[in-house]
Amino acid sequence: MASFDKADIEKLIDGVLPWPATQDMLKSSKDEDRFDKYVEIMQARVDFEDPILLPLTPMLFIVNDNGSRVVKCRCGQCFGDYRVNWKLSALIYVRDDEEKMEQVYVGREMPDPGWIQLREYICAGCGAQLEVEAVPRGCPPDFEFLPDLDTFYRDWLGRPLPDTCEFKDATLDQINEWAK
Amino acid sequence: MSATASTMTSNTPLRDRMHANDEAFKTTGSLFGLTALTRKEDDPGTYEAVWHILSNLCNTAWATGCKVSSSPIAAEGGDALWGLHTATGEAVCISRGISAHAGLLSDMIKHFIELGYEDYPGFKQGDIFENNDPHYGGIHSPDFDMCMPIFYQDKLVAWASCVSHVSDSGSVTPGSIGFLNPDCYSDGIPISMERVGEHDAFYPWYEMRIRSRTRTPDFVMGDARGRLAGCITVRERLHEVLDKYSLDFVLDAMNEYVEDSRRYAVKRVKTQTVPGRIRKSQFKDLAMKGKRVLLAKQDIDCMFNLPMDLTINADASVDLSLAGASGTVPFGENISPTALKSGLMMGYSHVVGFDMFNSGPTTAWNVEMPPGGSWANPYPVDYQAASGVAWAPAVTWLSNLYEVFGRLFQMRGFVEEMAAGSGSIMTAEFAGINQTGMYLTGLTLEQASQGSPARGYSDGQNSAWCIYTPEGDFGNAEVGELYYPILFLGRNVAPDSGGFGKFRGGLGHTAVWMVYNTPGLEYQCGDAGMRSKTVGNHGMYGAYPTVPDRPGYGHKTNLKELIEEQKPLIHERGGPDNPAVTSKITAELAEDSAVAPFVTPEALVDYDVIVHPISGAQAMGDPIERDPESVVNDLNEGWTTQRVAREIHGVVTTQPNGHVAADHEATAKRRQQIREDRKQRAVPFKEWWLEERKKVEAQENMDNAVRVMWESSMRLSPEYGEGVRKFWNLPEDFTFTPDAG
Ligand SMILES: [Zn+2]
Repeated sequence: MASFDKADIEKLIDGVLPWPATQDMLKSSKDEDRFDKYVEIMQARVDFEDPILLPLTPMLFIVNDNGSRVVKCRCGQCFGDYRVNWKLSALIYVRDDEEKMEQVYVGREMPDPGWIQLREYICAGCGAQLEVEAVPRGCPPDFEFLPDLDTFYRDWLGRPLPDTCEFKDATLDQINEWAK
Repeated sequence: MSATASTMTSNTPLRDRMHANDEAFKTTGSLFGLTALTRKEDDPGTYEAVWHILSNLCNTAWATGCKVSSSPIAAEGGDALWGLHTATGEAVCISRGISAHAGLLSDMIKHFIELGYEDYPGFKQGDIFENNDPHYGGIHSPDFDMCMPIFYQDKLVAWASCVSHVSDSGSVTPGSIGFLNPDCYSDGIPISMERVGEHDAFYPWYEMRIRSRTRTPDFVMGDARGRLAGCITVRERLHEVLDKYSLDFVLDAMNEYVEDSRRYAVKRVKTQTVPGRIRKSQFKDLAMKGKRVLLAKQDIDCMFNLPMDLTINADASVDLSLAGASGTVPFGENISPTALKSGLMMGYSHVVGFDMFNSGPTTAWNVEMPPGGSWANPYPVDYQAASGVAWAPAVTWLSNLYEVFGRLFQMRGFVEEMAAGSGSIMTAEFAGINQTGMYLTGLTLEQASQGSPARGYSDGQNSAWCIYTPEGDFGNAEVGELYYPILFLGRNVAPDSGGFGKFRGGLGHTAVWMVYNTPGLEYQCGDAGMRSKTVGNHGMYGAYPTVPDRPGYGHKTNLKELIEEQKPLIHERGGPDNPAVTSKITAELAEDSAVAPFVTPEALVDYDVIVHPISGAQAMGDPIERDPESVVNDLNEGWTTQRVAREIHGVVTTQPNGHVAADHEATAKRRQQIREDRKQRAVPFKEWWLEERKKVEAQENMDNAVRVMWESSMRLSPEYGEGVRKFWNLPEDFTFTPDAG
C-alpha cells in the first residue's frame, strides 16, 4: 500500500508537485491514510480551531463546533447546520441581465439572461467566491452534497463519531421559517 | 431444480444461463456467483497476461477494422469500437475508440439472447447480427452495432462486437447528426435486431438496402466490411488464445475480469468517496425558432432539464435518478433509457471503474427509470420520438458525473483524481459534391478534440480530450481536405475557452475553413451536446463556466480577390468584440455569432468561409486564486486577454521588455478590492430569495423555452415539482405557463 509524505500532498494541492511524482500518485494503489493527512493539512491552513469532520470543498468544511456539526469557510465564517444547504447562509449576487452578465462574458460569449442566470455565492467573511450556478430562473440552488456523516465515520472509517445526527435534508425547514 | 450459475454448463441455453447469472448476482452479490476469484488467486501471472492479450486483440481488431473501412470517420478519426464479450453478453474488454458504446453492445447481445434468437434463427459460427434501431436499444441510426457469436469446439463461448459511426444514416437531412429529424420515421435506415449475414459475409439484400437508402453507400458498406473484418480478427485471435491457455482457463478468467472490475469500482467508491446524497442540475438549449426547419412544429426554442440525483449508500452501491427530466422534443434529441444507461457505463468507467474497462462497474448501480415522456424515456408517451443525435442530451447530462466525482474525491483528499465538467460538443458536417465530382456527406472530427477538464492540481490540456472517446483526435487537416471540398485556413487554440477559475479547463480550438472546388456545399452546424444560449452549470468551487458555442461564416466573400492580390486572409476567429469574419474580409452575408445548431439557409460556394469553434472544458476554483504567473503565461501565449486577466482574475501586469509580467503587489491589492466589491454588491441569500420568489411566481424574464421546460419537468415528476414549489413557497397548484399555441 502506497503512502505519501504530507509535504508532497501539500505540493499537489498547491499545484506545484512535479509531474512524475503526480503520475506516481495517480498510478499507485491509493494510500489509506490520505483522508487523515488531508484533514491535518487543511486544519493547519484554516483560521479556526474547531476540528474538521469533512472538507466539503477546498474552501468549506463541516466542523465540530462545540458539539454541533456546522459548515465553516476557511476564514471562520459560519454557515450553520450542515444539513441545511449552506448557500442559504451565504451572500449572493445574481447576474440576470445583460449589463451584469457583460462583466464576465462579452459579445458573442454572453449567454442569454432570459434562459439562465449566473448566481455567485460569496462568503460574507472573506469575500471568496464559493460556488457559481448557471441555471434558469426557478431552479432551486443545488444542495451539492449532503453527507451521511455517521455512516461514513462508523462503517467506512471504522471510528464512530461520539454523537449521532439524523441524516436528513433540513433546507426546507429553513425556507418554511422564512415563508412565515 | 432451478438452474444456478454453478450448475450451468455450456450446453445450457444461453437465456437460462443469463437468468441464472442474474439470480446468482442477486443472492451472492458477486457477478456469476463468483464469491472467489479462483483463477486470479491460483495463477495471478497468467490471469494478468491473458487480460493484456485480450485487450490487445481488441486493439488489433480496431486497427484492422478502421483501415478496412474507407470512411474518413473510422479510417482517419478512429470513430469505432470492437469488444469481446462472455457467452451471456457481458463486455470483458474493449479496444481503443468510442468507448461510450461498450454498454450498448453488451445490452444488444443480451437482447438477442432474451428475444430467443438462439432458437430461431439460431446462432452459428460466421453469423452476423446488427441493430441500430433506438426502439430496440440502439442509440441513433448512424451507430451500427454488430455482434458475431464465437464458437470453439462446437460451443458458443464468446461474442465479438463492434460499432462504427457511418457518414450517412439515410435520415431526412444528409449526414449522421440528425438533430433536425422531427420523428423516428425521419431517423434514417433501420436495422432492427437482424441477422444481416452468414458465413462471414453480408446478405446481398443488406447491401442493396444500404445502396438505396444511404447517400454514401460506398463508405457505409466500407464501414460494414470494417466491422466484419474486426470481428473476425477478434474471433481468430481468441481461438489462438484458447488453444494456448485452454478453454476452461480463459472462460473462467473472462468472467473473473468482469467481477474483478465490479469489485474494483465498489472498493473505489468506498475508499475514495463519502456516502450521502449528491445533486447536480444541468441544462442545455436547442434554439430553433426562425431557422430552417423541416416541419412547422419545429419552429420553436427548447430547453432541456438534465438533473442528476445520486445517492451513495452505506454498502457503496449507487442509486441514480433523473427525476425532473423535461419532456421530449420534436427533434432528434431524445434517447431510450437503455441507451442512456449504456452511456453511463462510459462516464462511470472514466471516473470510477477504469482498471479493467468492462461491464463490471455499472452492475453496482441502481438506475431509476427516467420519467415516461421525458427526453430520457420518450416512448411510453411519444412512441414516434426521434433519436437522430440521442447523444446530445446524454453527454451533457454525463458531464455532471465528472464534476460530481471530482467533488467526492476532494472530500477524501484524492486531489490527483479530481476533474471539473466537460465542455460541449458542436459538430460540423458537410454535404455536397467534392473536388473529384463525388457526392459526399459526413462528419468532420473537429469536435473529437476538445480541451480536457480542469484537474484538482492543474489546468486541463488544450485540444486533447473528448467526453465520448479516449482518442481525443481531430484527425489530420490534410486528410479532411482530401474528402471534403474545403481548405483549412487555420486551426488555432481558442483564447478564454476553458472557463475562468483557479485552474481553467483545457482550451478548445477554432477551425477556419474556406469552401473550395464545389458547385455548392451545405454546412450543418450540429448539436451533439452543444450550448449556444446558455453555459453549463459547472461553476465548480466558484469558477465561471465555459463560454457558449457560437460559430460564424461568411457567404460570397472577397477571398478570391485577396488571394489574387496576395493580401492577408482570415486565419483565426478574432476577439468576441472584434470578429475576423466581419473585420478581415468582406462578405454579402457575414455572421460571427450564429446561434447553433443550424443548417446554412443556402448552399455555401467557393471562397465562402466557416469559423467553427470547438469548446474548451470547465474550470474549478475562485478565479482570483489563479496563480498570477499562470495568467501571465496565458497572456504571453495568446490564450487569454487583458480584460479577463484584470477583471476576472484580478491580475495586474506590466510590460517591461515586450513580454508581459505580473505586478504582484498591485495584483494582491486588486484582488483584495475584488473581495470587498463582491461583499458590497452581494446580498444575504434570504433577501434575494424574498424578491426572487416573486419573480418566479410572476414568471418574469423567463423565455418561453424555460417555461415549457419547467412545466413538463414538474408534470412528469410530481415529487420534483413539489420540491420546486416548496423551495419558492409557491401555491400548491402553481404551474409555469408556456405561451399559447
Ligand atoms: Zn470565508
